[in-house]
Amino acid sequence: MVDTWERMQVVFRDTFDEDSLQLRPDMTAADVEAWDSLTHINLIVDIEREFKVRFTTAEVTGLKTVGDLAALVDKKRSAAS
Amino acid sequence: MSFTEPVFLLYVAVCAALNRLCPARFRAAFLLLASYGFYLTWNPVAAGLLAVLTILTFSAALAVENARLTGTGRLASVGMAMVALLVGYLAAFKVALLTPTHGIAGLIMPLGISYYTFKLLSYVLDVHWGKLPAERRLVNFAAYVAFFPQIVAGPIQRPGDFLAQLPPKPVSVAEAAPRIAWGFVKKLIIADNLAPTVNTIYAHVTGLHGAPLWVGFYLFPLQLYADFSGLTDIALGTGRLFGITGPENFNRPFTASSISDFWRRWHMSLTNWLVDYVFVPLRMATRRAGTFGLVLSITVNMVAIGLWHGLTFGYFVFGVLNAAYLVVDALTSRDRAKFFKRNPAWDAAGTWLGWLLTFHLILIAEVFFRAPRVSDAVWLLAHLWSGLSGFTAFFTSGLMEGQARGLTIGLVGYLILELGERYRPDLRAKELYHSSPRWVQWSFYSAGIVIGIFAMAMLVAYAGDKKSPFLYEIF
Repeated sequence: MVDTWERMQVVFRDTFDEDSLQLRPDMTAADVEAWDSLTHINLIVDIEREFKVRFTTAEVTGLKTVGDLAALVDKKRSAAS
Repeated sequence: MSFTEPVFLLYVAVCAALNRLCPARFRAAFLLLASYGFYLTWNPVAAGLLAVLTILTFSAALAVENARLTGTGRLASVGMAMVALLVGYLAAFKVALLTPTHGIAGLIMPLGISYYTFKLLSYVLDVHWGKLPAERRLVNFAAYVAFFPQIVAGPIQRPGDFLAQLPPKPVSVAEAAPRIAWGFVKKLIIADNLAPTVNTIYAHVTGLHGAPLWVGFYLFPLQLYADFSGLTDIALGTGRLFGITGPENFNRPFTASSISDFWRRWHMSLTNWLVDYVFVPLRMATRRAGTFGLVLSITVNMVAIGLWHGLTFGYFVFGVLNAAYLVVDALTSRDRAKFFKRNPAWDAAGTWLGWLLTFHLILIAEVFFRAPRVSDAVWLLAHLWSGLSGFTAFFTSGLMEGQARGLTIGLVGYLILELGERYRPDLRAKELYHSSPRWVQWSFYSAGIVIGIFAMAMLVAYAGDKKSPFLYEIF
């Protein structure tokens, strides 16, 4: 969806406290300093709140890149609308 | 056969040679054969148990996948039943070890049980979650579970990672051998020379005060790291000989600047396993519960890491301490990051202090890991500051008789280990090798052979107490 990417960027900057963070589809946890297994779930919760969707554990553990996450958000949003 | 017995090296050499001669499509079957050949030398009954569990897990995963594909939800419970069976199996042996006669574990303690049940569990869960298609070839799956370089003490490789490498393409001996040799140096020259002093101190803890306790406090973690990472190096190097690249287990753990950083550098294959299969599911389930959910998930995860080593009070305390450290780390990480952003001048001091604090917090936890009883660990920590002057007296006492040489070799060796892993001269040599003309490359080969012979002579001359088993072989 059109605004997914912009809104995700806002969430990422807020969660990881990094105002200059620029999302790329191929970005992974290794590219963001504060992104580890502890902050990962915080990010998931923030994304869920922002888009009013819910993820399952299986979905969350299957994610590899930011692009995967965006695709998952889009899938959930189109299923909800 | 143990990794440090000469017969192990002979077995590896013969199998690696046969593996190369073997046509690619039979290599998985060959790995399976070689792995069970190795396992049978420990205990045939335990090998039977391993085979039965492998077949059960293999079939359960196929049933789970068929249930998902055909949409019959009732079969999905097969996966959970298999998980329960595996956890129960592991727990039964660990509980039996607590009884005076060790019960069933006294009769057959399956080698590497903690490692292979975790491999089986991750496979069932991956298929259950739809992350991995069920493997249709029993031979490939059984080779993954029993892969002998990893069965004694890991690293715990994930099924998807291993199966994708089949049929394996073996690398050259020159590529794999240095890693194996380095592992033997760490184990035989460093760890085994530190072991006698550590053993002496921990065996007499309650009679000691001050100085010798400090020695035990600082020495055991170094011994543990040299021992376990040496074992991992042998496992990974041997795996490479057969064409399997395993996951790394260590990344210079004692340079960590925070507790969370330490756990990203120490026994990584176990930590990552628990993060994926314990921490994340639990944290997802409790994600709306705020701080409570975070504290609960971290505590369960770290206690699980502790108890994975054995169901003893000492390992439990080790887990609880690390949980407490990590909770503080997680709850203050945002504020700390903000503070250092606002005060960049403090950054260097913060990193340095963070390292010093992390190192000592880990050392405190590892006292509980090593001490035979929790009361011994408490004694050690409580009497560190009493009688600091007893240093010379201790080293000239009967307890330490004849140990000075080994201790010196071990400590010098450990220094070389840290410097070597910091500066990685092997990578530079490799770069230089690849950028050299052919005739220079030949001199690299001859230098390699000379270094190899020299290393073997060193192993014979400086190896420590040969009777000490690998510390992580018992799990």
